[in-house]
Amino acid sequence: MQSTNPNKKNTLSWLWLLALTVISTYVATFLELFNAQKSLFIVIVLFIVFLKGQQIIDIFMELELAPKLWRRLLLAYVILLPTIIGFIYLV
Amino acid sequence: MNNILNIEAQTALIEEKKSPLVVKRLPGDLAMWFFILAELTVFAILFIGFAVSEQLNPEMFSQGKTNLHQISGLINTLTLITSSFFVALALTKMHQGFGKQAAKLLIVAKLVACIYIGVKIWEYLSLFEQGIDIETNTFFTLYFMITFFHLMHVLLGMVILIFVALKAVKNEYNASNISGFESGASYWHMVDMLWIILFPLIYVI
Repeated sequence: MQSTNPNKKNTLSWLWLLALTVISTYVATFLELFNAQKSLFIVIVLFIVFLKGQQIIDIFMELELAPKLWRRLLLAYVILLPTIIGFIYLV
Repeated sequence: MNNILNIEAQTALIEEKKSPLVVKRLPGDLAMWFFILAELTVFAILFIGFAVSEQLNPEMFSQGKTNLHQISGLINTLTLITSSFFVALALTKMHQGFGKQAAKLLIVAKLVACIYIGVKIWEYLSLFEQGIDIETNTFFTLYFMITFFHLMHVLLGMVILIFVALKAVKNEYNASNISGFESGASYWHMVDMLWIILFPLIYVI
């Protein structure tokens, strides 16, 4: 997602977010074909949550250009919350 | 000696070219960011509460999720992401000094968000028709509470964007006074980000 043109950057980010949303919705159906465990499915879905959150924080919210503290605070949210949720489901 | 000074000056110039001075700036008002952090914390508690309840009542939650319409959840995710995209484009236009174009993009963002509201209301009504409401069981208590709370945030975000669009049309924002626009946009992106966590948690997992 490296681009200096803000419109191009936003568009690429938008398309990436749409693709990730569709993947996370149908990943369970895909994994069922390979008899994969539910835990793998949960990990993939929660990792996609982080990827999507990072795009919104850095590109849409423009925090990649903000002071590090604020960017890190928001990124911590999309890292810690899915991790906690994953911990609850998997342990 | 002169040669050494020249080399030092040239090295400094090259270093400056390598890392041009980038001013790190928080978009929007600081107060809005504290408000966003508070909102995120409240939702985090609700999400964690939902996950813990699911672990305590796995059969009830599994049964409850089969009553939900996953495609409507997917449509709502796509609409909120698209709406956020138009708000991001509007902010870019505002940075370039095109207030009226920015306002038009904000209107498109709000129209897209209306699809979300329509789908959400349809989803609630179809559940009510099945005899399901907030008192049915713990799953639906949490489902209605979390999704309705989020819907209220979408409505508040739309009101904020209306004010921002009106000010943009009147050219009340400029390069040195764009904080209000950025605050409204950041709030809207937060609403989008919350749904991105809510959707897999309630509809997918």
